[in-house]
Amino acid sequence: MSVAGERRSFWPLLWNVLWIVLGAAAAIAAPHVFDSLTGRHMLVLIAINVILVAGLDLLIGGAGLLSLGHSAFMGVGAYASALLVKAGWAFPLGMLAAVVAAALVGLIVGVPALRLKGHYFSVVTFIVGIIITILLTNMVDLTRGPMGLTGIPFATIELFGWQHTFRTIIEKVGYYYLTLFFAALALLLRWRLGRSRFGRALSAIKGDENLAESVGIATYRTKVAAFVIAAGVAGLAGSLYAHYAVFLSPDSFTFVDSFDLFVMNLLGGAGTVLGPVVGPTFLVTVSSLLRNLAPALSHVVYGVILIVVIVVLPHGIVGGIKRLGARLRAGRGRVEG
Amino acid sequence: MDTVVQLVLNALHATSLYALVALGLTIILGVLDIADFAQGALYMVGAYVAYYATEAVGLSFFLALPLAMLVGSLLAMTNYVAVYRPLRRFSGATTFIAALGLLLILQNLALLFFGADFRLVRAPFSGVRFGVLGATWTGYQVFIAASVAALLLLTWLFLKLTPIGKRLRAVSENREGALVVGLDPFRVELVAFALAGALAGAAGTLASGVNAFDPSIAAIVVIKAFAIVIFAGMGSVPGAILGALIVGLAETLTGGLISTQYAELTAFVLMIVVLLFRPRGLFGAQEAKL
Repeated sequence: MSVAGERRSFWPLLWNVLWIVLGAAAAIAAPHVFDSLTGRHMLVLIAINVILVAGLDLLIGGAGLLSLGHSAFMGVGAYASALLVKAGWAFPLGMLAAVVAAALVGLIVGVPALRLKGHYFSVVTFIVGIIITILLTNMVDLTRGPMGLTGIPFATIELFGWQHTFRTIIEKVGYYYLTLFFAALALLLRWRLGRSRFGRALSAIKGDENLAESVGIATYRTKVAAFVIAAGVAGLAGSLYAHYAVFLSPDSFTFVDSFDLFVMNLLGGAGTVLGPVVGPTFLVTVSSLLRNLAPALSHVVYGVILIVVIVVLPHGIVGGIKRLGARLRAGRGRVEG
Repeated sequence: MDTVVQLVLNALHATSLYALVALGLTIILGVLDIADFAQGALYMVGAYVAYYATEAVGLSFFLALPLAMLVGSLLAMTNYVAVYRPLRRFSGATTFIAALGLLLILQNLALLFFGADFRLVRAPFSGVRFGVLGATWTGYQVFIAASVAALLLLTWLFLKLTPIGKRLRAVSENREGALVVGLDPFRVELVAFALAGALAGAAGTLASGVNAFDPSIAAIVVIKAFAIVIFAGMGSVPGAILGALIVGLAETLTGGLISTQYAELTAFVLMIVVLLFRPRGLFGAQEAKL
């Protein structure tokens, strides 16, 4: 990679810039193309899921750590932000608190859980996710439990005297752009971390943890750091969700939602730059298209799509396209050479 | 004292059913690194086979049991050939997605065809009652315990004595070594799935007489069973059985003596605490062994 970096040629760079500009233009134009309330609602959901999956991909794509309780951290962030802003905090502070709270819970979970390997780690994250949902349900004094938390204030942002409240029930475009901004930030963070020393340490751990340890990488501390960052990012997404839906219930943060995030990550393509965009877009679109069917039938079709995609493209959609591209290029090289 | 004995007795027959599913999961995990969540669906199908065979067709419950085992193992083999085998070269994450997809499909197909109503099968020997230390056990509960014990024993004998059982253990102890000496992995893996499917189907049928069920039982059962496998140590057969009993006892005792609200929490916290001190599970060896 560093060799390629030294003689970085002009055309691939231009190509990448072109893609980023096109992607940004599409994302900005999207709420005006899909201009129904449902369409815009879906776009906000996709953007929030992009944030979550970008964070989760640091664990799954980056370090090969299959965390199955990720939506619990989103829940922690959502409740922290909702309760604090309800108590009078400003929205940006509530959001910051959500990140800190989720990262803190991530630290408490990650320190013991990351001593475990493979399936053992996955099951513990999964169980912790269930425990957090049970706690959110049972701490009725704080969270109002299964009745749900109502009366969460809309997000208000104040910049240089300009003030705006996002009344998301009737007006979704503004809030979509807010979530889009954070989604872009999350993707940028994932991409930068992937190319940093930290990201290379993670991918060494993914390849062979003992080998990584033997060449002097502090594998345990690196994994804990990744886990805490991913949890913090999930907390941010939780805060954005809380002030969008303005209603929270523990049902939104169950293990099923964690599975969904995991599926989005793998189906989009774990460890790819665009995977965290493609996965949520694909799955949110598919499940909303299936909404016209009976619920049970739609789940069957959803399951079939899941299996077909994973059998045809085991490296996810983006991973599959990249491999196909590489094979075509290799084929052309042979013909030319 | 009487309540405690009664609770222990209840826990014993209820969790012995988890042990069957856990055993199937651990066999598959040993042979192939797949967390086969679709096993929960086979348990659910086993329960419906019992329901329709006895209520609609009028078969005896004792014939429904082997029928459910047959259906379970056929379904498990289909899953393996159609989905898991094409994915065998890929990581646990990829196969896990496929497993979740299969669970989703089977559970919702059941919802479409069997409906969401809770069912309960009329169980044999329910009228018979035994008094044990001041608590009571129904004849059917004794039948469950005896059937589970018999199935566990048969599985153990199958793995220890038959040639294919020995091959199965060989592959799960050292996959490369087994392939080097010329074992056909396809046959061994197929047998592992057939065996696990039969166990799950039997567990579903046996449970159908004591616990009312609907299609969502599939996910609930497999999650509990998988947690038990991990808690006990992957690949350990006695571990899967003892693990199921420990988790079941902890859950029933907290549920009965403290609060049902925290019953699941206790079981899960117990599992995590054990894993912190024994990172490969309670009975897991350094290398997984069947």
